[in-house]
Amino acid sequence: MSEERGERRPRPRGGRRPRRKVCSFCVDKIEYIDYKDINRLRRFTNERGKILPRRMSGNCAKHQRQLSEAIKRARAIALMPYTVE
Amino acid sequence: MNRYEMIYIIDADLEEAARKELIEKVSALITNNGGEIEKVDETWGKRRLAYAIDYKTEGWYVLVNFNAPVELPRELERNLQINENVLRYLVIKLVEKRSSVKPRAERPAPVAAPVDEAPVAEEAAPAVAAEEAPAADAE
Repeated sequence: MSEERGERRPRPRGGRRPRRKVCSFCVDKIEYIDYKDINRLRRFTNERGKILPRRMSGNCAKHQRQLSEAIKRARAIALMPYTVE
Repeated sequence: MNRYEMIYIIDADLEEAARKELIEKVSALITNNGGEIEKVDETWGKRRLAYAIDYKTEGWYVLVNFNAPVELPRELERNLQINENVLRYLVIKLVEKRSSVKPRAERPAPVAAPVDEAPVAEEAAPAVAAEEAPAADAE
């Protein structure tokens, strides 16, 4: 709630206000992010294999935590890379 | 008893017979220590690893779902660690509490919507009125 307001406040007039991003996991009603679902997880890493921050992915805090956990598990068993050079 | 999910990677160079034997051995380890296997999924089969492990670029993935007492994963991991044909393993506890999360996921949308629209409507209304007023004067 408060962070939603925080994002809007800094630009009072003029300038295009960025569209509020919606958590894609909430939209899809996903309650548990599976580390084996690498096609989905891959969308939340950049081309170097790093996990995208929340401000870019638009995920809610709850799902971002689950997502990072899932990505780290996927990395541990070589389903996803730690780094891409 | 907890529900667990284990995934482990067997050296892809291992012949089929030896691989079968290893999978059997791991399964036996679970059942002999008071666990019950729900499913052994070998459909993953040979996969390219995302990064090389011991200079190997391919591995044979095996996924096992099982119910077991809390002491078992530790014992299981100890054994997998010893076996050199197992490149990697991961044992996780499956979470059951998925339904408790659901009602809250729907909440943000209705709350956010009015907050979003209210200021826009307020800004739009005076602007339209201001534009119309001078126009009416000019006529």
